[in-house]
Amino acid sequence: MTDPLMVGAVAYTPNVVPIWEGMRDYFADTDAPMDFVLFSNYGRQVDALLAGTIDVAWNTNLAWVRTVGQTDGQCRALAMRDTDTVFQTVLVAPAGGGLIGLESLRGKRLALGSQDSAQAAILPVHYLSEAGLGSDAVDLLRINSDVGKHGDTGRSELDALRAVLEGRADAAAIGINTWEAIGRDELMPGAFEAFWTSPTYSHCNFTARPSLGADRADPWVAALFAMDWENPQHREVLEMEGLRRWVPPELDGYQSLFEAVEKQDIALRW
Amino acid sequence: MVNATVPGGSTADPALLLDLVELVGRAPRHGLVLVPLAVGDSEDQRRTVAAWCERTGNRMVSVVDGLATVRRGRSPDPFAGLEPNQVPGTRLWMYTNFDCNLACDYCCVRSSPQTPRAALGVDRVRRLAAEAGEAGVSELILTGGEPFLLPDLDDLVSACTDVLPTTLLTNGMLFKGRRLEALRRMDRTRLTLQISLDSPTAEIHDAHRGPGSWDRAVSGIRLALDEGFRVKVAATLPYEQTHAVEPFHAFLETLGIPSEDRVIRALARRGVADQGIELTVETLIPEITITATGVYWHPVGAEHADQLVTRDIFPLQEAITQAIDRFTSYRADAVSAAQWFPCA
Repeated sequence: MTDPLMVGAVAYTPNVVPIWEGMRDYFADTDAPMDFVLFSNYGRQVDALLAGTIDVAWNTNLAWVRTVGQTDGQCRALAMRDTDTVFQTVLVAPAGGGLIGLESLRGKRLALGSQDSAQAAILPVHYLSEAGLGSDAVDLLRINSDVGKHGDTGRSELDALRAVLEGRADAAAIGINTWEAIGRDELMPGAFEAFWTSPTYSHCNFTARPSLGADRADPWVAALFAMDWENPQHREVLEMEGLRRWVPPELDGYQSLFEAVEKQDIALRW
Repeated sequence: MVNATVPGGSTADPALLLDLVELVGRAPRHGLVLVPLAVGDSEDQRRTVAAWCERTGNRMVSVVDGLATVRRGRSPDPFAGLEPNQVPGTRLWMYTNFDCNLACDYCCVRSSPQTPRAALGVDRVRRLAAEAGEAGVSELILTGGEPFLLPDLDDLVSACTDVLPTTLLTNGMLFKGRRLEALRRMDRTRLTLQISLDSPTAEIHDAHRGPGSWDRAVSGIRLALDEGFRVKVAATLPYEQTHAVEPFHAFLETLGIPSEDRVIRALARRGVADQGIELTVETLIPEITITATGVYWHPVGAEHADQLVTRDIFPLQEAITQAIDRFTSYRADAVSAAQWFPCA
């Protein structure tokens, strides 16, 4: 009997438990059984991965960048959600406020999410910088709630939007998932509008510890890719985790975050 | 504060959307979430909550008294764990008349010789059978009182068997003369007779149903079998006796009733029964039941107001939909209640 592959995940919502119990139940019927360990934050999870406590970590893009940095690139991305390959940052403002493109933020107040959120803080600052808007050009309002969970809870992004509604900021940087969750500008036309959307980039992935052999990883990945949206039992788990199918990792999609982490001098762990 | 237009032209506070995302996002799957509402037009708020729930795959439960109640995620499958013939809308019951030649002391609908006839009539039965076929019903079940008191029973039965397999409940005591002739005209390939018999000897059966009724019921079972009908035997027993029925099974074996055609059910505290298990709409899987006065949740409650689904028998599909919607709601509430009041 093969020891189960140990997969780590961060418990950012109560629904993480049924998701990973569902994954464990699914893999129990394959030749690559797994179990899971939940962590309170990504720092602890990456530590456990590097210590060999877990074999694979379900990492955010920032956790991936940090794991690469701490392993000199020896860790390996195994798979990601289809939705992770097309993640985006969206800048939103009150509808009809006249903001168009990044340049229109010059002299304005932009609310950012948690400092460790790639989509709502690190990458927005990176995109502003690339557009020639440095720290003196835009007044940044940082809302650091749920630090450690890399923006997974979405709470800081909602607080950024509240800052806009309350007039404390002119615009907010949020992830495409939060923009979808509030119904974009379709559910309540006249409230918010998106005035800039970033290029797509990669978000979460399953990260294998450097010493995990292909004999352990490959059967698990093969079973992962065999999850089928048309199978009602599989679909329940897939829906909860927010994907239709697992796909191979798109590593090019992390380039912008690697650059942002380097330029913003973000520590490899905290 | 920024106000916005929601679909339909009304205005609402956009902060409501942020509260919905945050509070529902934190909740466990299938959990109930209470979202406080700002002062404002409650209809606007209800429409906003409904639109958000529809878009995001959650379920709005209510918007009242300044609170929106939302269930996280889609409702659990209300039919999970049910056998195919238990799925609401699969079987349709029709009370053909209510009057009876017996006055059983546990009758759930108080039928007796003194009960006024409340006949559905062949025209309504025919229309019900036709609509049942279109609504996806797979079996029709006719019950009385005692249906063989009806002079046109064979017409009612053929109206049903022409459309769907049908079961006819009877005490089996009236298979003589014109009634026997009517029985013989019924379609043996599409009709099952379900005859009531409560015990392997006369004593218990007669104590509930009247002297001599056991002998006549057993004769009726034998006659129906001889006539080539499939016969089910149904017993109604106090709950504590439902686990000690070996002698009864042995007797039915001698009659030639196979085990799958034996229905042994617990006595319900309904109708004239002053003892028995309690059955409510919240705890019963509905079996749509039509009487002359309306549509009921289940045949066991067909003369009780608490089990009335609607007074409108037609269109049948609408009545079935109403019952299924209520059943879905009860099941979802039960799941949530279990989560809301954890016991350990």
